[in-house]
Amino acid sequence: MNNVPYADQKIRTREMVIIIANAVIGVGILTFPRSIAKETDAFDGWISVLIGGAAVCLIGWLLGKLASRFPTRTYFDYVALIVGRPFAYLLTLLFGVYSILMVSFEVRAVGNIAKQYLFTNTPVEMITLAFLLIVQYAVAGSRMALLRLNLIFLPIVLLVILMVQMYTLRFLEWENVRPFFSTDWTTLLKGAKGVTLSMSGPEIVLFYTLLMKRPQDAPKSVILGLAIPVLLYMTIYMVIIGVFSAAVARNLTFPTIELAKGVEVPGGFIERVESLFFTIWIMTIFNTCTIWFDLTITALRSVFTRLSKFAWILILSPIIYLIAMQPQNQVEFLTFGDRLSYIGVVIAYAIPLLLLTIAKLRGVKESD
Amino acid sequence: MASQLKRRPQQTPDLSTPLYPRLEENLTAIKQTLGNPQDLIVRTFSIDNTSLTCAVVCFDGLVDSDLINDKVVKHIQLTLPASGKKLPPPGEEMLTFLLREVLSTIEVKLESTFEAMYDRVLAGDTALFVDGTAQTIVIDSRGWQTRTIDEPVSEGLVRGPREGFTENIRDNTMLVRRRVRDVQLRFDTMNVGRRSKTDLIIAYMQDIANPALVQEVKRRLATIDVDEVEESGFIEQWIEDDFLSPFPQCQVTERPDKVASALFQGRVAILLDGTPMGLIVPVTFSMLLHSPEDFYERWIVGTLARLLRYVAAFLAVFSPALYVALVTYHPGLIPSDLAFSIAATREGVPFPAFVEALLMVATMELLQEAGLRLPKPIGQTVGIVGGLVIGESAVSAGLVSPVMVIVVALTAIASFAIPAYNLALTFRMIRFVVMFAAAIFGLYGVVLMFVAIFIHLANLTSLGVPYLTPFAPQLLNDWKDLLLRAPVTFMRKRPETGQPKDHIRMKTGDAP
Repeated sequence: MNNVPYADQKIRTREMVIIIANAVIGVGILTFPRSIAKETDAFDGWISVLIGGAAVCLIGWLLGKLASRFPTRTYFDYVALIVGRPFAYLLTLLFGVYSILMVSFEVRAVGNIAKQYLFTNTPVEMITLAFLLIVQYAVAGSRMALLRLNLIFLPIVLLVILMVQMYTLRFLEWENVRPFFSTDWTTLLKGAKGVTLSMSGPEIVLFYTLLMKRPQDAPKSVILGLAIPVLLYMTIYMVIIGVFSAAVARNLTFPTIELAKGVEVPGGFIERVESLFFTIWIMTIFNTCTIWFDLTITALRSVFTRLSKFAWILILSPIIYLIAMQPQNQVEFLTFGDRLSYIGVVIAYAIPLLLLTIAKLRGVKESD
Repeated sequence: MASQLKRRPQQTPDLSTPLYPRLEENLTAIKQTLGNPQDLIVRTFSIDNTSLTCAVVCFDGLVDSDLINDKVVKHIQLTLPASGKKLPPPGEEMLTFLLREVLSTIEVKLESTFEAMYDRVLAGDTALFVDGTAQTIVIDSRGWQTRTIDEPVSEGLVRGPREGFTENIRDNTMLVRRRVRDVQLRFDTMNVGRRSKTDLIIAYMQDIANPALVQEVKRRLATIDVDEVEESGFIEQWIEDDFLSPFPQCQVTERPDKVASALFQGRVAILLDGTPMGLIVPVTFSMLLHSPEDFYERWIVGTLARLLRYVAAFLAVFSPALYVALVTYHPGLIPSDLAFSIAATREGVPFPAFVEALLMVATMELLQEAGLRLPKPIGQTVGIVGGLVIGESAVSAGLVSPVMVIVVALTAIASFAIPAYNLALTFRMIRFVVMFAAAIFGLYGVVLMFVAIFIHLANLTSLGVPYLTPFAPQLLNDWKDLLLRAPVTFMRKRPETGQPKDHIRMKTGDAP
């Protein structure tokens, strides 16, 4: 039936905060304690998380500034305003490619982790395919619905991760925690770099600001949206080091999931909580994945305007699936992830920041 | 569609012709058009011992015959001559005279075409023809047998009014108006069904309901083009946003108190003649899990009952699937002692858990359907057969494991705890889909289905209002009446979900 005029089709600021938080929370949070423990080798890694988080917040805030400078324009449109159409085509396409890789990474991550913790015999190809189908279903629906799903799933996911931390606190050993403040600054900064890399997500503000009810709140909502994952990263890191010690944590592939292993529900009603934990964690990975898929389509459709959304889903899905199947083992998969975060820093952080500088210098604004 | 209808040969006589001046002609035409049925009453008599004849035409059973006798026939035949009033000459003046001076019923109207006259007479009114005029006096005399106001069968409550809607739309409007004594209450009337011409009433509060919503409801209702509308289900299926969705997009109720509270929230109710089931739009997922009793009991009780119902909704959909997933794929998740005992009870069961679950859940569906169709006294037999014979014997025969019986019983009880019957039906359907997913992918399949259901719900709208409001879009003010039911004094604003015009429900909210 027809659209009803009174239905509210804009994102509120609070909702944007949740969406950004959920976009950042994904696969990274399951693996990051390993890389930080590798760098800092101590409990002090939480300082790295704080520094890294602050850096991402700053970048995110600037991205928000850039987007809210053009509250009614798409990414392609305002890039074209700032540096001209040829560059706009190039940069939007680059962003499209980056987001395709992000979707592939997330999809494969679900496949890999599910294989490790839920199935042993089911081939990873099938697991990934099932997940991709659900992602397609979400992307095929309305954009607003896709974003609203974040509001449903984030509370569930946060509840679960907080419960995991609370239940495992009793395994915390003080020997693992001490000594405090023993790490030097260069090491901490190295760790911070790892955190910054693993926190991809605030760049979605570049695309979603024009859907907001109050686009001028975009920078604020990025900061608040990042605050949730930064706090989560910090507490998780502390608990993991406290429970496992840095030496153990650096050798675990998914330290956060391993942490859930320690949970014992009173009465032993559920055992092997880590399977259940990851099952629920799929929801937030799903959200991150749909957001990136949606961004891919938005980016590509602003370049190739003639193809419909549904056509793009049909074209992109096989490509995403094939890319996701490229890594042959866990090591290759993790390398894929690492490289992807470097690409992300260039495409999603460096280039937009450059654009912001140019826009500031040239004084390009919405009204032009 | 429209051109097909036009091409169909005209079967019914042209009714838009004006009435004839001569009484005889009119009566013959009426008898011919209606096929002179047995329940058609045509009583001819003369006015005041003059040669001027007149006739009443009505349907036996539809009219209140006492009223016609006392207020019409008696007046014309007996009271009028006795009063000694001077009769005007036959014609228009005569009709006006009768209307003004003789007939003593509340609602009378003049009609001059056959079509208008038939509409009224078929609806239970009486037409009074007087010879020599091409007009007829139509007297409101509807008085058929109706069911008395009864307790709503499908929505019973322990605490709360016992009145339910009936098949008579007048009773229903009365029940609503008695609860909403406000000048702003609107009952907009329309007829639906090209032939059945069923009365339909759109009820809303003029100064609360969003005008765009009311307009959209009316627009959708105006598109209805069918022969007959038997039940509000026809309306529901015609105006819903997505006919492919398994989820109901209208709230169905036979409780006037529910309708009244919906009106105060700025929602629109649709009442249809001939059915006790009213519709309320727009509806959201959470509304279907709420019961009026949440408000009638104190807020702590209401809150707990509500939380229980959300859990019940989850269990009703997911518990058989979780059983299948856990037993088939993840026995490690079950505590080892329990896992062993489940395995031991499943020792003799020849089927995989999925087939076992499918067997039991399908049997339960059968029992439920059979129980509905049977007359009440035999209905209990189904319970005995189902509960004892199938449950007990299936276990001892080694067809299913006792744990499975517990799971199925839990599922059934959980789905009976859903206050909205149409939502419970939805859950029964989805349950099977989730079970299939669990059979293929275990817990992973279950969570993917969970996600898929929410994708669908997030895309679904009811009259344009997102189905997951106020969860997503997030309207925190409405959360006072969502998972929790806040104390009455806290709810000072109307829920945003219905997007009302007037937001304030109470000025201060201070309890004495």
